Amino acid sequence: MIQARGVTCEAPDGRCLLERMDLQVPEGGNLLVTGPSGSGKSRLLRVLAGTERPRSGALRIAGIAVWPGDGALPLAGRVRLGFAFAAGGLLSNLSLEDNVALPLRFLGLGKPEVARRTADALARLDLEAVAGLRPHAVSGAARKHTNLARVLALEPQLVLLDDPLDGLDTVDRAVALELIRAWAGNSGRTLVVAAEDAQAFPWLASNSIQLALAATSPEPR
Amino acid sequence: MRGFLEFLGDQAHLVWRTLRSGLALRSGQLAVVGGQTKLQIRFTGLDAGVLVMGTALLLGAVTLIQAFSQLSGLGAENYIGTLMVLIILRELGPLLTAVLVIGRSATAIAAELGAMQLNGEVDALAVHGVDPYRYLLLPRWLGVLVSVFALVVFFDAAALGGGFLVARLKYGVTWGFFMESVRQALSNRDFAATLLKVVFISGAITFHACHFGLRVQRSQTEIPQAVTRTVVSALVAVFVIDGLIAALLYF
Repeated sequence: MIQARGVTCEAPDGRCLLERMDLQVPEGGNLLVTGPSGSGKSRLLRVLAGTERPRSGALRIAGIAVWPGDGALPLAGRVRLGFAFAAGGLLSNLSLEDNVALPLRFLGLGKPEVARRTADALARLDLEAVAGLRPHAVSGAARKHTNLARVLALEPQLVLLDDPLDGLDTVDRAVALELIRAWAGNSGRTLVVAAEDAQAFPWLASNSIQLALAATSPEPR
Repeated sequence: MRGFLEFLGDQAHLVWRTLRSGLALRSGQLAVVGGQTKLQIRFTGLDAGVLVMGTALLLGAVTLIQAFSQLSGLGAENYIGTLMVLIILRELGPLLTAVLVIGRSATAIAAELGAMQLNGEVDALAVHGVDPYRYLLLPRWLGVLVSVFALVVFFDAAALGGGFLVARLKYGVTWGFFMESVRQALSNRDFAATLLKVVFISGAITFHACHFGLRVQRSQTEIPQAVTRTVVSALVAVFVIDGLIAALLYF
């Protein structure tokens, strides 16, 4: 599913975060990316999602060229991809429900199917009570759960989760973990999780490729 | 010079990608894109209607007051139609409408896209299969195009109304005489010029706003800068387009 060759990423300050990384994740495989804050986990996920151009290297998702190329755009309609962002990523002028439904509408699904999938995803993440509110009107945990609900409703082939448990209390964490565990066990779905601490995903550690990123410090100028 | 060429290249890229995404629009996506287009028309066209018509009414009245004050005694009433067509319909109608749309809508589009870019919303759209060109740029382009066309029509109508009020109150000109005078001065070339201006000006306004809005990358402070650049750049583009079309059709 993911084929990366010689991918090099830099931080905005010029620090090298990843150098000539080669990576192969088969379809249905799992990838756990760990590392301290600032080590480039989120950046790597954005490169894999096709929203951030690496400094150099090539990336293919399901055989489709992402980098060098137009990023995520060529994947539309060919590979379904779901990304739960660590922060933001929800359209601020849409309700949580519409945020979940928008990619489904764009897929061209019928209204009943869109309504069913949206309602199921919102119910699974305990978001029914706030579904009509916009992102700014709900808690950070609800926004994180809405990111997961959008991914769930889309039923993607490739799931990318950026720090999915950060800022969640015990109850919300349990709901999210149950969902992620189900994704990890699905052989038709490729899962990439970036987290500071691998301890939160003990079941993922045993059946995934692991990539530990090292902390880098700004170079003196 | 290099920066200017890069800017032109980026504009051409935006137009091409938006056109291509519009041509590849699937029937299931029509409702979403149509909904966004309606929102843009409401904001750019409907909400600006009173402002544009009020401005036009005053402009039409003032134009005739000033013209008559200079030409009184020379049979100025015979030139009413020519004056209105030359000053209002040919030039000021499309130009002032564009200025008002830049002030109200181009600024809003640039600020909105800038904020969306900072919040990761544009990336989220692209990742989840929602083509940003199709969801963000195409509806804005269509919305601004329809709105500018409608606003120019209403601007011209209101300006003629303002001009007629002055002509009627000061010189007792009848509606029939006034409209006949305007009709005689109008030619098909004026309609073609107005249509060309509407198409190119609305494109310039939309794509300048989208270009500067989508270039916001790192901080909130870039948003007001993007808005300022949009206004200055779009105004220059609108005046250049207006001049080129005038030169092409009337020179």
